[in-house]
Amino acid sequence: MPVEVQEPAVEELTVTDKPWIVIVWNDPVNLMSYVVYVFQKLFGYSRKKATKLMRQVHEEGKAIVSDGPVEKCEADVARLHAHGLWATMEHPS
Amino acid sequence: MPLMPRWKRFRPERDGTLTVSLAEEELGLLRALPDQLREVFDEHEDDPVRARLFPRAYLDPTAETEEAEWQALVGPSLLRERLDALELISATLGRAELVGDWWQIHLTPDEVQAWLGVLNDTRLVLGTRLGVTEEERVLDPADPDAGPYALYQWLTWVQGDLIEELL
Repeated sequence: MPVEVQEPAVEELTVTDKPWIVIVWNDPVNLMSYVVYVFQKLFGYSRKKATKLMRQVHEEGKAIVSDGPVEKCEADVARLHAHGLWATMEHPS
Repeated sequence: MPLMPRWKRFRPERDGTLTVSLAEEELGLLRALPDQLREVFDEHEDDPVRARLFPRAYLDPTAETEEAEWQALVGPSLLRERLDALELISATLGRAELVGDWWQIHLTPDEVQAWLGVLNDTRLVLGTRLGVTEEERVLDPADPDAGPYALYQWLTWVQGDLIEELL
């Protein structure tokens, strides 16, 4: 992350600091119970939070499951792929 | 094909292992999976199955540099992990013991994870090839997809039972 030397414009700061997001997409193969299990295992989410995210994936087609710096998101996507979930990452603009 | 009653498939033991019980034909079906998956993993052609097992990380299709760097970084270990799971499940299937009418295997937590991965990968491969949707299909037994679809459904059932035990 760049070191702040001068007072930057507010918009600039917002863009720089915005985290990357990891999205899990709905697919017809992965079982709902399996998706809950994977969210709990990989992210340490409670059963309640993992179930809520799974429902969102199922009903809305996708859900943001984690965010953070690019390196963290790349690692999260790799773990999700290792477990057979369909995940991508992007930087919201 | 005789099927295990589902309440008996996976039984947790006091030492933290999970005992799985299988009919002889079921054991045979599972023993055939590692070789079939290894063949799929070894293929390098871009096809829907490969794209499903090893998807892109970057949603943005123009982020080619980032995507290539990410693939170079994690691709080999993602493949290695899948191959290791095949070795592990093969080893467990090799030590099945006949207890009464059923073949039983005691699975350690690591072995359970290998089972889960192999069951899920096989379902991803079959599901992609068959073009499954969330609706259940009713196929004529003469349909060439009938056999693979029956296997897919059976694997779904086994995996569902295993997750019930883990959740």
